[in-house]
Amino acid sequence: MRSRAPGIAVWLLVAAVVLLAYLFAPRFISDFHSRELAGAGVFFIAIVGLNLLTGYTGQISLGHGALMAVGGYTTAALAVHEHWRDVWTIPLAGVAAGIVGFLIGLPALRLSGLYLALATFAFAIAIPSLLKKFSGLTGGSQGLRLLEDAPLQVTGLSGTVTIFGHTMTQNHFLYYLTWGIGLLGFLIAWLLVRGRVGRTFRAVRDSEVAAASVGINLAWTKTLAFALSGVYAGVAGSLLAIQVEIVNPLSFTFLLSILILVGVVVGGLGSLGGMILGALFVQYLPDLSTHVSTAEGAPDFIFGAAIIVVMLLLPTGVGGFLRRLARPLTTRLYLRP
Amino acid sequence: MILAFDWTQLAQQIVIGLASGGVWATLAVALVLIYRSTGVINFAQGEMAMFSTFIAWSLVNHGFSYWAAFVLTVAISFAGGVAVERAVIRPVERAPVLTVVIVTLGLFFVVNGAARWIWSPETRSLPNAFSTRPITVAGVAFSISDLGTIAVSLAAVALLWAFFRFTKLGLASRAAAVNPDASRLVGVRVTWMLALGWGLAAAMGAVSGMLTAPALASFDQNLMQPVLLYAFAGAVLGGIDSPLGAVVGSLLLGVLINLIGTYVNWVGTDLRLPVALAVILGVLLVRPAGLFGRPMETRV
Amino acid sequence: MARVKYLILLVLGALALATVAAGAASETGVTSTQVTIGGTTPLSGPASAYQSVAKGAAAYFRYVNAKGGVNKRKINYIYKDDAYDPSKTVDATRELVSQDKVFAIFNSLGTDQNLATRAYLNALKVPQLFVASGATTFGNDYKKYPYTIGYQPNYRAEGTIYGRYVVKHAPKSRIGVLYQNDDYGKDLLAGLQRGLGAKAGLVKSKQSYNVDDPDVQSQIAKLKAAKVNTLMVFATPKFAIQAYVYARKLSWKPLVYMNAVSSAANIMGLSTAATNKKQTEGTISIVFLKDPTDPAWRNNSGMKLYRSIMKKYKGGNPNDVYAVYGMSVAHTFVAALQKAGKNPTRAGIVKAADSLNVTNDPFLLPGISVKTSATDHFPLDQAKLQRYHDGHWVAFGGLFRVR
Repeated sequence: MRSRAPGIAVWLLVAAVVLLAYLFAPRFISDFHSRELAGAGVFFIAIVGLNLLTGYTGQISLGHGALMAVGGYTTAALAVHEHWRDVWTIPLAGVAAGIVGFLIGLPALRLSGLYLALATFAFAIAIPSLLKKFSGLTGGSQGLRLLEDAPLQVTGLSGTVTIFGHTMTQNHFLYYLTWGIGLLGFLIAWLLVRGRVGRTFRAVRDSEVAAASVGINLAWTKTLAFALSGVYAGVAGSLLAIQVEIVNPLSFTFLLSILILVGVVVGGLGSLGGMILGALFVQYLPDLSTHVSTAEGAPDFIFGAAIIVVMLLLPTGVGGFLRRLARPLTTRLYLRP
Repeated sequence: MILAFDWTQLAQQIVIGLASGGVWATLAVALVLIYRSTGVINFAQGEMAMFSTFIAWSLVNHGFSYWAAFVLTVAISFAGGVAVERAVIRPVERAPVLTVVIVTLGLFFVVNGAARWIWSPETRSLPNAFSTRPITVAGVAFSISDLGTIAVSLAAVALLWAFFRFTKLGLASRAAAVNPDASRLVGVRVTWMLALGWGLAAAMGAVSGMLTAPALASFDQNLMQPVLLYAFAGAVLGGIDSPLGAVVGSLLLGVLINLIGTYVNWVGTDLRLPVALAVILGVLLVRPAGLFGRPMETRV
Repeated sequence: MARVKYLILLVLGALALATVAAGAASETGVTSTQVTIGGTTPLSGPASAYQSVAKGAAAYFRYVNAKGGVNKRKINYIYKDDAYDPSKTVDATRELVSQDKVFAIFNSLGTDQNLATRAYLNALKVPQLFVASGATTFGNDYKKYPYTIGYQPNYRAEGTIYGRYVVKHAPKSRIGVLYQNDDYGKDLLAGLQRGLGAKAGLVKSKQSYNVDDPDVQSQIAKLKAAKVNTLMVFATPKFAIQAYVYARKLSWKPLVYMNAVSSAANIMGLSTAATNKKQTEGTISIVFLKDPTDPAWRNNSGMKLYRSIMKKYKGGNPNDVYAVYGMSVAHTFVAALQKAGKNPTRAGIVKAADSLNVTNDPFLLPGISVKTSATDHFPLDQAKLQRYHDGHWVAFGGLFRVR
C-alpha cells in the first residue's frame, strides 16, 4: 500500500503537466503552428491505435492508411451528401473504420506474420482504386471538397469558432479538438493496456499457443484488436478530413500506411509513452527533408536515411530505449541489456 | 455457344498473362531469397533492382556491349547486396522483425531517392536480350522475348537449386537459415550466410530489372514499384520459401489478373488488382503455405 | 515664424510621402523592391519529375530579376513540396498565404491539388494564377471562382480536335481508345466524343488502365480484337511507348493519335527504336510548345534563350519539355505583373490576367498568342497539328483554336 502512493503521485503529476501543456501551448506558438501540431495529433491517434494492434497484440498491419481513408471519407460523405456538421461525424467515422478493421481482422485468424502483411498491404494498395470506382459516393478521382460542396457543415468557416463562450481561431480549434480527442484516446488505450484486455493482447502476442491453452479466445482477441485500432485510425482520418477540408484518393496511398507503421516502431512497439515522439517524427520529418535539399531525389533519400539511422540507433524505438534506461541499476549490472 | 466464344482471344489473353507474369517472376525469386535468409520481405528489393537497371544503362551508354554490361551489373549488384546487408541489416539482426521491416522501408526511399538524384527523371530504354520479332501461332501472338524472360527465370531457379543442393556453400547457407545456432556450432559463419543471401537476391534483382525494362518497353525510376506488389503476391501464392513456387505463382497470377480483367466486366481494368489479390487470399486461407511451400510447424 | 512654417510643411510633406509610399506597398506580398509569389509542386514522391515546371519558372524569374525585375521589383518565387497529395497542398498553400504572405499563388501543379485550395483562395481573394493543370474547370468556372485561372490548353479541347479531324478527314474510321483512368485520360476521351459529335459511334472500344498497372498488353489485345484501325493513345509516356510495342507484337499497325503529353520527340524516338519506323509513321498529335528534343528548333532564338537561361540560372535538365512550359508560364506572369501597373494589387493582377494579349512568348510555337478576355479564360487555346514522318514531326495545317 505504501509503495504504491509515490507511484500514483508521479502519474498524477505527469498527467497534470500534460494537461497544462495541452491547454496552454497555443499561447506560445503561432496560429499556423497550432495547425501543424493538429496535424501531428492526427498521426498520434492513428499511431496509438496501431500500437494496440501491432505492439501489444503482435499483429502486423500495413493497411492502416486505408482505415484512415474509411474514416475520412465517412466524414466527408456525411457532410456533403447528408449535410452533417463535420465534427458530429467523428464517432460514426470511427465506427465505420472499426467495422472495416474487424473485417480485415477476420483473415488474420488463419493468416499470420507474412500473409497478414500481404493481406493488409493489398488492402492499402487497393483502397485508392476502390475509392475511385464508387465515384457517386466518393467523388471519384477528384474526391470531395467540403468548402465547395458543403461549406455550411464546416466548423470555423468564418475563421473563428466559439465554444462555451470562448472565441478562438479555427486553427486553435483544430488543435484543441484533435489533441483533446488524442489525449482521451491515449487515456483509454492506457486503461485498456493496464487491464485485462491488455494482458490478453500481450498473451496472444507472446505465444498464441500458450494463450489458447489458458483459455483465451484467439479469434475474439485478434478481431477486437483489429477493430479497436480501426476505430482509432478512423477517428484520425476523420480529423484529417476536418483539418484539410478535403478527401482525395491521393492522400491515402501506401505511403500513409508506411508512415503510421514507422511512427509506431520509432515510438516503440508496446510502449505508449513513445507514441508522441513517433507522431512528431513522422509529421515533421518529410517536411524537414525538403528543407535540407530540394535536389531531385534528395528529400526522399534523406527521409529514408533518417528512418534507417533511427532504427539502427534505437531498434526498440524511443519507448524501448526509455524503458531500458528506467530499469533499476541492479538489473542492468547483472543482466545483458 | 462454344463456337461463338472467342477461343483465340482467350488463348491470347492467357499468353499475355504468362508474359506479364514472367516479368515479375525473377523479382519474386529475389524476394524469396531474402525471406529465406533473413525472414523478412525486403520492401526495397524492387528499388534495388531498378538501381541495377540504371547501372546497366549507364554501362551500355558508355560503350560496353550488352552482355558485358549484363555480367558487370550482376556482379556489382551482388556486391551491393552484400554491402547493404552488412551496413544496414546486420546491426538489427537481433532486433524485432518489425524493426527490420522498417529498415527495408527506409531503404526503399534511400535507393529511390539516390536513383533520382544521380540520374535525371527522363524516360530511357534498355536493349532487349532477346528478339522482339512478333511470332504468331494459331492466331495467338507472342515474341521470343516473352519465352526468353520465362526461360531465364526458370534457369535462375535451376541454378539456385543446384547451388543450394550440390555446393558446400549452399549447404551451409541452408543450414544457417534453418537452424542458426546449431550451424554456428559446426563452424558455419552464419552472418556471412545472411550476407550471401542478400547478395544473391540483389543479383537476381538485377537480372529482374534488366529483363523488366525492355519487356515494359521503357524505364525510369518508377519502373519496379508496381512490379513489387505483383512479385510479392506471386511469391506468396507460390509459397514464400520456394523459388520455383515464386515463378509458378507469378505466372499464375499474371494469367489470373488478365482473365479476370477481360471476362468479368464489372471488374474491368480498374479493379483487377484488388480482385486478383482477393483470390490469392482465398487460396491462402485454404492452403496457408502457398502452392509449393512447406507448411510451417511451430514448436510449442 | 517662417522657419516654423517651413518645418511644418516639411513634416507634412514627409508624412504625405510616407503615406503614399505606404499606400503603394500596402498590398500583401508587395514591397517597394520585391513581389513575393508562391506555389506548390511535387518535390518528393513518385510525381517528382513534374517539379521541372516550377524549376523552369524559377530560372526564368532569376533571369528577369538579373535584368532589373518588373517595375523595379524583383520577383521572389517560393515553391513548396506537396508530394502530389492534395491534403498537403492545402497545408502548404495555407502556409504560403498566412506565413509567407504571398501576393499570389502561382503555377501550383495538379488538378486535384489546385481544386483542393480553390475555394479557400477565392474566399480570401488571393489570386490563384496560371494553374498547372489541363482540367477545363479552371477556365470554365470563373464566375464562381474569379480569382482562379488556368494556363495550358486543356485536355478536353485537345480530344475535341482529334474528334473533329477524324470526322472531317476519315469519317469511316473504326476508333479505339487507350486512356488513363483519371481526370487527364477521361477529359481527353470526353473531348474526343464531343469532337466526334453525331459520329461518336465510330468509337468501337475503350480500354482504360491505372497508373500502377505494370503493362497494357491486355488492353491492346482487346483493342485489336475489336478490329480497330485508328488508335487514340490518351496515355502518359511509359504506356504510350508500350502501345506501339504491344501493337507491333500483335502484328498490328493502326493509325495512332498521340496525346501531346507523350508526343515529345525523344519519346517518339524511343517508340520508333523499340519497334520500327513503320509502326510510328503517320502518328498525329498537337503541339503548342517548342520541343527541346526536336532538332528543328536547334538554331531557334527562343530555344537558344531557353537553353542559356537553363544553364546560367540552374533550371535543371534542358531536355525536359516541362521546363519549357515553366518558362512560358513565367513569361506570361511577368507580362501580367507588368500590366498590373506600378502599384500592383491582387484585384489588379487578376484583372490583368483576364485581359492578356501576349504575342512574343519565345517558348511557344510561332504564331501562338496568350489571350484572355471577359469571356475567354483560357490563356492558351491554340495548337498546331503535326504528323510523324520518317522519324520526326512535321507540322501541317494552320493554327487550331482549341475550344
